[in-house]
Amino acid sequence: MADYLWKLLPILLVFGGVLGIVPFLVFLERKICAYIQDRVGPNRVGLLGPDGFLEAVVGVPITKKRILGGFFQPLADAIKLITKEDFIPSHAEKFLFTMAPFFALLPPFLAFIVIPVGPDVTLFGQSVMLQVADLNVGVLWILAVASLSAYGVAMGGWASNSKYSLLGGIRATAQMISYEVAMGIVLLSVLMHYDSVSLRDMVGVQSAGLGSWGLWHQPVAFILFVICAFAENNRLPFDLPECEAELVGGYHTEYNSMKFGMFFQGEYIAMLGMGALTTALFLGGWHFPGYAWLKETIGAWVTVFALAAFAAKVMAFVLFQMWVRWTLPRFRYDQLMNLGWKGMIPIALLNLIVTAWINLPKGT
Amino acid sequence: MSAAHDEGHGHGPAAAELPPGVKLAPGDPEQTWVEKLYLPEVARGLNNTFKHIFRKKFTIDYDQTDRDNPAKFHRPREGYRGEHYLKKDEDGHVKCVACFMCAAACPAECIHIEAEATPTDWNNRERYPRRFEIDMLRCIYCGMCEEACPVDAIALSTTYNLVADTREAKVYDRDKLMKTGEDLGISLSKHKYRPDGVPGAVPHKKAH
Ligand code: SF4
Ligand code: SF4
Repeated sequence: MADYLWKLLPILLVFGGVLGIVPFLVFLERKICAYIQDRVGPNRVGLLGPDGFLEAVVGVPITKKRILGGFFQPLADAIKLITKEDFIPSHAEKFLFTMAPFFALLPPFLAFIVIPVGPDVTLFGQSVMLQVADLNVGVLWILAVASLSAYGVAMGGWASNSKYSLLGGIRATAQMISYEVAMGIVLLSVLMHYDSVSLRDMVGVQSAGLGSWGLWHQPVAFILFVICAFAENNRLPFDLPECEAELVGGYHTEYNSMKFGMFFQGEYIAMLGMGALTTALFLGGWHFPGYAWLKETIGAWVTVFALAAFAAKVMAFVLFQMWVRWTLPRFRYDQLMNLGWKGMIPIALLNLIVTAWINLPKGT
Repeated sequence: MSAAHDEGHGHGPAAAELPPGVKLAPGDPEQTWVEKLYLPEVARGLNNTFKHIFRKKFTIDYDQTDRDNPAKFHRPREGYRGEHYLKKDEDGHVKCVACFMCAAACPAECIHIEAEATPTDWNNRERYPRRFEIDMLRCIYCGMCEEACPVDAIALSTTYNLVADTREAKVYDRDKLMKTGEDLGISLSKHKYRPDGVPGAVPHKKAH
C-alpha cells in the first residue's frame, strides 16, 4: 500500500510541474515573439497598477505604476477561455468534435510517464524513483503515444466538417507519419548507442560527466531528432496543420472556448514533452557537471539541484523552439515532404548504418 | 536535407510567346549547396532574431495617463479614418442637403437617408435629411462618403475606439452623428480632430 502512496510523489511532481508551467510558457512565448519583432508584448494585466490583477479584485486603484505587467495575462486568458460560450457548430459531428481536444491533450501527458526527472531519493527510509513508470520499452512507449496525438488533430479536423479544418487534419496526419519514420530511425541509432530501450538506463549511461552525454556521441541523430521534434509538435517551420495564412486556423478553426484552450495546452505540453525527451536522450537527463562532487558535499539535497538541472535543460529546449518559431518562415507543403522523405530519412538511415558499424564490437 | 528546390518556380510560357515588351519576373535566385543545407541559413536567421531581442522597441506604450505626451497617448495621424460625424451650417442645422451622393458612393451600403423638404425658416436650401443613419458595423471606413459629399457635410473623425455593448448602439442616427460633432466643437470648422481629449482627438503634430 505504502508503495502506491509513494508513487504519488513523482506523479504529482511531473504532472503538477507540467500543468503549472504551461501558462507561464504561453506568457513567455508571447513575450519572446514580441521582443524578436521589436515589440513590447503583453504588459498590462499585472499584479498591481492600472489593469492589475489585485486592483481588479480590490476595485480601487492602488498605484499608478504597473508591477509585473503582463505576467497575469495567461490568467486573464484562462478566465476568458473558461467563461466563454462553448459553441459547437451545427454542421459538426458532435461526439468526435468534443472528444478531439481530449485526444490532443492526453498523449503529450502520457509521454511524460517514462521520463526520469531526477535520481532516486530516499525519503523516510523509502526509496522513491523520480519517474512515474520505468517501462522497459520506454522509447517505444513515447513513439506510440506521440503518434496518438495525430488522432486528436485529425479527429478535430474531420469532425469540424469544414474545409479548412479537414485540410489541416489531413496535413497533420501526413506530416506526422512522414516525420515519425525519420524519428523512428533516428531513435534506432540512439538505442544502439545506449544498448537499452529504457530511458532510465540511458540517463544512467550519461552520468559520467559532460563527455558522456548523447549529444557528442550521436550528433547527427541529435540534429535530426530536434528537427523531427519540431515537426511532431507542429511548430514552425512545420506548422502546416495550423497555417493561419491559408487555412485560417487549420484543424482548430471551428473550435473556441476551452476546447480550443485544450488544443493550445496540448501543444505546449507536447513542447515540454519533446524537451524532456531530448534532455533524457541527448542532454544527460538530470545530470550536470559536478554532480558527484555536490552529492558528496550536500548529500541527498543534490536531488533538488538535479531536478533544477533537468527543468533548466527542458526550458532551454522549449525556449529554443520558440526562438526558432519566430525566426523561420513556414515550409511549403511539397518542401516539407521533400525534406522529410528525401532529406531526413536517407540521412537518418546513413546515420543508422554508421552507428551500427561503430557499435558492432559491442554486440555479443 | 537538400532536395527541396528541384521543382522550378514560375516557368510560365516561354519568352517568345509573351507580348512584346513584357518580361517574366525573375524567379528565385539559384541556391548554393550551402544554402540548400538549410542549417547554416537557419543559424544566420536565429542570430538575426536574437539581435532583435535587445533592440529598441517600436511600441509606443500609450497607457493613456498623459494626454499631452505623444509617447504616452496614441493619436492617429492626419487622414486616419475613424467614426463619422455630420457637420452643421451657420444656423446650427445639419449641413447635409440630402442629395444621397454619399449613400450612392458607399460600397458597404450602410448609409440610410430619408429626405424631407426643409422647414420654411431654413432658407439656405430645400431639402434636409429627416433620417440619417450609418450602420457603423457594416461600414468599412473607406471614406468614400466624405469624398462624395458635394457640400462637405459628412466627414470621418479620427475616433478609433469603436466599441459598444450592443449592435443597435452601433447604428448612429442623425442626432448622434451631429451630437458627436457638437461635442467635438467641429461643426463649422474644417478641423476634424477632437480637441476635447476623447481618444484620437488631439490634432496630430507633424513632427511626431
Ligand atoms: S466610410 Fe465608406 S463604408 Fe463607411 S459610410 Fe462612408 S462610404 Fe460607407
Ligand atoms: S452626400 Fe453630403 S449632402 Fe449628400 S446626403 Fe450625403 S451627407 Fe448629405
